Amino acid sequence: MDSSHRLFSFQRILAIAANTLTELTRQKVFYVLLIFALVLIGSSVFMARFSFQQEFQIMKDISLGAMSIFSSLLAIVATARLIPQDVDDRTIYTILAKAVPRFEYLLGKLLGVLLLLAISVVLMSALFIVVLYVREQTVVSETLRQMSRAPREQMDNALNAVRAAGLNIDILAGVAVIYLKACLLAALTLFVSTFATTNIFTVVVMVFVYFIGHLQSTAREYWLEQQTTGWLTRAFLALVALIFPDLQAFNLVDEIVAGVAIPLALLANTALLGIFYIGIYTLAATFVFYGKEL
Amino acid sequence: MTEEAIAVEGLTKVFHVPFHRKAIVAVRDLNLRVGPGEVYGLLGPNGSGKSTTLKIILGLVSPTHGRTKIFGRDSSLVESREAVGFLPENPYFYRFLTGEETLRFFGKLCRLTGSRLNDRVRELLELVGLTNARDQRLSTYSKGMLQRIGLAQALVNEPKLVVLDEPTGGVDPAGSRAIRNIIADLRQRGITVLLSSHLLTQVQEICDRVGILARGVLVREGHLEELIAIENRTELVLENASDALMKEIEKLAANSNAKLVERRRSTTTLERLFLDATKRNDETEMSKPEEMTKSE
Repeated sequence: MDSSHRLFSFQRILAIAANTLTELTRQKVFYVLLIFALVLIGSSVFMARFSFQQEFQIMKDISLGAMSIFSSLLAIVATARLIPQDVDDRTIYTILAKAVPRFEYLLGKLLGVLLLLAISVVLMSALFIVVLYVREQTVVSETLRQMSRAPREQMDNALNAVRAAGLNIDILAGVAVIYLKACLLAALTLFVSTFATTNIFTVVVMVFVYFIGHLQSTAREYWLEQQTTGWLTRAFLALVALIFPDLQAFNLVDEIVAGVAIPLALLANTALLGIFYIGIYTLAATFVFYGKEL
Repeated sequence: MTEEAIAVEGLTKVFHVPFHRKAIVAVRDLNLRVGPGEVYGLLGPNGSGKSTTLKIILGLVSPTHGRTKIFGRDSSLVESREAVGFLPENPYFYRFLTGEETLRFFGKLCRLTGSRLNDRVRELLELVGLTNARDQRLSTYSKGMLQRIGLAQALVNEPKLVVLDEPTGGVDPAGSRAIRNIIADLRQRGITVLLSSHLLTQVQEICDRVGILARGVLVREGHLEELIAIENRTELVLENASDALMKEIEKLAANSNAKLVERRRSTTTLERLFLDATKRNDETEMSKPEEMTKSE
């Protein structure tokens, strides 16, 4: 037995993360992905009657939207129960009665959820990309068949139009931001669960946070446009922005559907904002958890 | 000078009830010392502060006043728990894991890897008699099996101190006997054991010293033999004693101003009777189908 204690051990964090991932996967949370597949395949059948531009736009809109909702839902529901369940089962005592610092326990739990979200988002994206690619290839084949006697230049233009409306790199940027939003929600849920007494409380708080987070930017813009906005309103808006994450900043679906290229700077800023929020919530969770009497 | 395994000095814990101007004193000015290699039993009725005391010693709850140390290191420090194993009361653990996966998980938390981890897991499964149930999920384990896997995880890091909260609570006599045998084995190996229990007969059998808590106060403490001995009485146990011999002994006693208080036939314990009658063997229990073990 190695008797020297290490204040930080990545091995311990990994052990907790792997265990959390096992716990969540054995509880069949991946059934969410099945619903996603049904939504995607169902919508593709429904959209066969539209033009290919409309079809690809709607497919991206529905798929990225569903991916965002499902990953957010998964982040909240999967994280909310982790700590209360460990307390109920007294497993937390056996873990923390060993030389495991509380921040390592929290980091392990969070890392486990982030891994689960990564797997879920990768699987959903893969499914979406495969469906979109298959449809794009079908449209390309149909275009080639229909325009077999058209001039070369006209055919190239038509094919370029199909490819521009189909798969492009911006979809990956959109998926990355969706993942980041889910990670942020998981970190915030972990923070709430450190002082919540039940899972239901955590989930309800997080549903409110989700809606406030999505609506706050619109509300802020509206209030700030008013001529009479006083310092009190401004202070309140600043406080809301500080406590609740601006989730609208993590929504690039509209740009992707409209075919607007996502600037690298915007992507970097969004990533930094997400990492900042995740860091702040994890620190807050650690602070509360250290004072928690188990 | 040998370092004490556990030192508790002036420990007080007050729980404040939210939204009420009320405070509950769970432990009041407790002083306790457990020497290395000792088996110490903390006794007391429900709500007497046993579990709170154990949690404070393990750094899971912070004291309102006073301090606790494990092998000279303050309990609030994570490193004080490097050589500690803990089995909480009525543990469930991760029901989605198998017995082997559970021990692997706790072994990794203690930074065991590779062949050391494999060997340790195998040894512990053998020690607690769960080798045949190693691949069963904990959700199918009986109460006794859960206690034993709990004991195994407490020993995974080869601790110098093992803290057990009601280790035999809710376990049938055979399981309880198995756990007490393991505790006896720990004592032989020089491992300090601090346990809390309601089951006084069992504590009497395995503890060197006991402390009795009532409403958070340590009301009695000492070596078991000293505490329970009746100063002016002596017991003789004879085998094949004839009536004539007994009469002779009674006469001798009367002549020396002693009084024969009680004369009765020796009996076995109910536990011994139960174990002999049922002839249960832990390994046989493990080989039963899942639904059988779960319904225990």
